[in-house]
Amino acid sequence: MPTLLHPKYPYLGLGCHFRRNTCGLPRIAARVYCSTPSTALDEPPPPPRLPTSPPLVATTRRASSAPLLDDPSLRSTWSHRAWVAAGCTSVLVSLAKSAIESHTWFEPLVAGLIGYVLADLGSGVYHWAIDNYGDASSPVFGSQIEAFQGHHKWPWTITKRQFANNLYALARAVSFVVLPIDLGVNDPVVHGFVGVCSGCIMFSQQFHAWAHGTKSRLPPLVVALQDAGVLVSRAHHAAHHRPPYNNNYCIVSGAWNKFLDRNKVFETLEMVLFFRFGVRPRSWSEPNSEWTEQVDNPTPLQVTLTQT
Amino acid sequence: MASISLPKHTLSSVFPPTNPKNPSCQILPILSSASQSQFYGVKLSTRSYSLSIPSSSFSRSSIFAKVSKGDVPPSFTLKDQDGKNVSLSKFKGKPVVVYFYPADETPGCTKQACAFRDSYEKFKKAGAEVVGISGDDVASHKGFAKKYRLPFTLLSDEGNRIRKEWGVPADLFGTLPGRQTYVLDKKGVVQLIYNNQFQPEKHIDETLKLLQSL
Repeated sequence: MPTLLHPKYPYLGLGCHFRRNTCGLPRIAARVYCSTPSTALDEPPPPPRLPTSPPLVATTRRASSAPLLDDPSLRSTWSHRAWVAAGCTSVLVSLAKSAIESHTWFEPLVAGLIGYVLADLGSGVYHWAIDNYGDASSPVFGSQIEAFQGHHKWPWTITKRQFANNLYALARAVSFVVLPIDLGVNDPVVHGFVGVCSGCIMFSQQFHAWAHGTKSRLPPLVVALQDAGVLVSRAHHAAHHRPPYNNNYCIVSGAWNKFLDRNKVFETLEMVLFFRFGVRPRSWSEPNSEWTEQVDNPTPLQVTLTQT
Repeated sequence: MASISLPKHTLSSVFPPTNPKNPSCQILPILSSASQSQFYGVKLSTRSYSLSIPSSSFSRSSIFAKVSKGDVPPSFTLKDQDGKNVSLSKFKGKPVVVYFYPADETPGCTKQACAFRDSYEKFKKAGAEVVGISGDDVASHKGFAKKYRLPFTLLSDEGNRIRKEWGVPADLFGTLPGRQTYVLDKKGVVQLIYNNQFQPEKHIDETLKLLQSL
């Protein structure tokens, strides 16, 4: 039985889509699957209905290549879970090593704070580079670039990815970097920095997914952390998904966004790279299908109406 | 997909030319404190020269003087977006705003060009002409002008020869061609030099302010 999704944005039928809401979330057309209520034998009989036309259940299927809600590409596999486990273990070992000498708690704590701050900056730089340069065929980063482009086309997908599916790529990178440090370094200050920085980087995709969530559906603690600026806020990240798609790249706390955007740091880097190597960033071009969020096109949709 | 295209202008053409045939050629920088390019707006009003003095009388001299306020800049002839030759002397008798910008179709330059376009009537009212100069070729200027409906002249300074002659400073340790605007009065004398790489719209405000006082 199909289930109700996105109750705030019901898809009412052909030709219907919604303007951006006041939170600045990007224009989306959600798909609604209305569930028909089942009545148990011991429930009281329903009140008499007025004569109306029979209710219809509409199931719609997107004819484009956007992933469906039950798409296997959104589900976690055991490989994904293994990488997330490895990443988490590496991070936890690092954090444990930073706390092992209790009399030196202050310096590892400060190092951890620096790690948190720099993780946000690092997430922005990486995000900017991936969003603007290379393509699916680029070595090493090709699949990431393709994923980021897909995210711009279908931003809502990230909220439907299962946990390990969303985090495994970063967890894999963190495992490779942090594990050798865990094995070779014993300095608690280094581990304070590494543990927090790598943990924030690994979980940045979860913070990112939360930034695409709706307030009513997020845990209150997450909303509180977003409002406090500890995690990247929904409003700030929504600005990244609007033209010209060249700002608000940081996705851990988003604290660096204001500074980087106000001082045109990424624009400067883009200009330097353009004059040095002749490479234009994607954000300089007119928004095209690579950037623009795909809204449901009513014409190719298949709408099946069944009478209940 | 990010497009990869070699810029028509290379970084080396932005820098002043050296003379490998005459290593004894010396460059004497006599710079004032206000002559360094900055990102956020520098008005240059003092005289400064960089001269290269050849030691041998048989060597080819490569003298270039940086244009400053009060100077009559050297005339030039460059091709515009339609491929026609345009000389600076053509504009004598009316104020001219000559703005050097890094490249067509970059964010800052597009903002600047569009800002000049949107205020063009004010420039016309002041009796002034607007001329944009970059190292891009004629075809690039033509596309840029057409796309953004620019009503003024864009000149192709291939090789950045005029940029070097006028001494437009580069930014970020020479990695970016500078963004500098000169306002010439009716006699062709420079009355304002404004430099601002990352606030391109300010060039319009500053030049209009001066034109209205001329």
